[in-house]
Amino acid sequence: MLRYPRWPIHAMLLAVSFLMLVPFYWVVKTSVTGENIFAYPPSVLPKSPHPFYYVDVWYYIPFARYFLNSVVVSALAVIANVVFNALAGYALTREFRAKRFVLLLFLSCMMVPFQATIIPAYLITGRLGLLDSYWGLALPQFSTIVCIFVFKASFDAVPRSLVDAARIDGLAEWRIVWKVMMPLAKGAIATNVILGFIWSWNNFLWPLIVTRSAEMQTLPLGLARFLSYQEDTTGALYAFCIMVLAPGILLFLLAQKEFIRGLASGATKG
Amino acid sequence: MADEIPAAARPPRFARKSTRQAVLIWCFLAPSLAIFLLYRLIPLVWNVVLSFSDWSPLKGMKWAGLDQYEDMIHDDVFWQALLNTLVFMASAPVAIVIALALALLVSADIRGRNVYRTIIFVSYPLMTVAVAIIWRWLFDERVGLINYVARSLHLVESPIPFLNSFFWALPSVIVANIWQMLGFYMIVLLTGLQAIPPNLYEAAAIDGANAWRRFKRITLPLLKPSLFLCIVIGMLNSFTSFDLVYVMTGGGPGRATELLVTYIYRLGFSQTRFDYAAAVTVVFFALLVSIAWMANRLSGGEAGAVERD
Amino acid sequence: MSSAAIETPLWRKLILNRFVLTLGILAALTLAWNAYVSTHDHGRVSGRVVDAEGRPVAAATVVLWVLNFTTYVEKTRATTDAEGRFLITDNDSHNIRLAAEKPGVGRSPRVPVRLYFRAEDVELLQPLVLSASG
Repeated sequence: MLRYPRWPIHAMLLAVSFLMLVPFYWVVKTSVTGENIFAYPPSVLPKSPHPFYYVDVWYYIPFARYFLNSVVVSALAVIANVVFNALAGYALTREFRAKRFVLLLFLSCMMVPFQATIIPAYLITGRLGLLDSYWGLALPQFSTIVCIFVFKASFDAVPRSLVDAARIDGLAEWRIVWKVMMPLAKGAIATNVILGFIWSWNNFLWPLIVTRSAEMQTLPLGLARFLSYQEDTTGALYAFCIMVLAPGILLFLLAQKEFIRGLASGATKG
Repeated sequence: MADEIPAAARPPRFARKSTRQAVLIWCFLAPSLAIFLLYRLIPLVWNVVLSFSDWSPLKGMKWAGLDQYEDMIHDDVFWQALLNTLVFMASAPVAIVIALALALLVSADIRGRNVYRTIIFVSYPLMTVAVAIIWRWLFDERVGLINYVARSLHLVESPIPFLNSFFWALPSVIVANIWQMLGFYMIVLLTGLQAIPPNLYEAAAIDGANAWRRFKRITLPLLKPSLFLCIVIGMLNSFTSFDLVYVMTGGGPGRATELLVTYIYRLGFSQTRFDYAAAVTVVFFALLVSIAWMANRLSGGEAGAVERD
Repeated sequence: MSSAAIETPLWRKLILNRFVLTLGILAALTLAWNAYVSTHDHGRVSGRVVDAEGRPVAAATVVLWVLNFTTYVEKTRATTDAEGRFLITDNDSHNIRLAAEKPGVGRSPRVPVRLYFRAEDVELLQPLVLSASG
């Protein structure tokens, strides 16, 4: 075991952690006190904190509606994601003639970022008549290549003997996927759900393009709009920030392992 | 199996088990393929077509040859956006180096390193819109924390209008972006570090190599795939950082923080110039792909290996 | 294949799952909060009016302003009874201001009252103090 003093490492990591956490502390403090919006010099500790900015935000903007929109769109996207990606991942474990071509196709699609497709995607969604609707919001997110490969890797790890036994028993293919593969791919499912949910929840550009009416806006949109008409004159904006960040942070803390594993495995798949 | 059955007795093509299986496989692939066709491939092609046309909702599409590209060459905003995007991209290595240092620290055998890891990583899954609002305020000229600290430490005499200055706006956005991406790079590098067998270090130590040589000769080469991945992700991130720029500065004072991606959005949805926006998108995408390809070549072609099995 | 003795039954695994647990706690908290809100949202605002020496003031007028976007608009008025108490019953806002006045005695400053939810029943802890300078 190579020996080295521990305390400098702790010192540096503590300094970095402090820097990473200061923005959070500052926002939480302002959301409960409304200080430091006009006053200078700023106070470090909150004086007379109160939760009433949160109440203001709840009633000032249709927070519940935006929250619901975000939840519905994310749920749609995640469910479709798991189904589509698992099916495609399973198909990629089988041998078929055009497999190499399909693999290449998928990998090349990975190089196309969403931002390079916004104009035609908007036109297509318009043609489909899905503008300003939950389906239109969720449709582009129905499948992600990274997660297909995560499923594929997970399915590849299932011993062939199990699959062959199931096939000899006469199970139809989709039954094999459902009853044999999926239970063994719990990690892949968890990763897909977590990553898919976070991407969909945080998505800003697509809802910005697709929504027309105020009731269909999702949370990121609501937050940005709040900034533009409230500016930053009260602690309400920062209360809104916290209300918006809280589910994400909660989910991350709960699902840390899956999240990191998903990113790591998605990363190694290129 | 099929060879043993005489040709006359073989079942017709559509009833053969292998065909049924092939059809089934394609059925499984179909939903995903449809989504990618609809939202990745067709848009790519459509962009190219649009970029060579002159299209308005009233007049319909007309072939316009290279007109849009000609406009682009004379468009100052385009060149500014391009420059800003490249500057943004050049900041990724800075973040990666910091993340490498952090990964090395966190991978050390200390207590509570999972806590440190979580704290550093928690900024990544956050909604970028919220991150932009927070940093917008931290950089505020009158009441921002950063100005307060700078003035308390007597680094500056009067407050710096970070987000209103042509010089400071883009670096401010970059700092916010680094804050958010640091954890991600660190996790990728951490995964790479943990894959290096520790006995390599021990063997080198026994051979008399000091920490720096161990780092240079063992860690860095074995980390190349992870580093390369970070660079590609960083580049992708800098090209696609719409949320952060739009909310934090809206393009900056004048066009100081306008990125290609925000310019495309503005052209398409504020000015409804779909054809010109498509042309800029084509350039945007071509640039992205060529830089990724160059990076791949430079790193010796070990780019997160294409799985050809 | 039975290891029922060692394996935890499925329902227990499901309940102890951290996601289910968190969702369950959140749902329970939401229900409890909604129950509390629905039993306390009659819009009653009550309080007392006193003069500068602390004596209750009868027949003083109390004005309620409610927040409308960014400004406060007057909603209702009430009068204090013989002991200086007043009761307003139709408050539907979460952010209100109260002020009292009685000609000859004085007026009170506008007191902001923030509520946890709309039409929360609230009783002011501090009385509205009428002073000549207002």
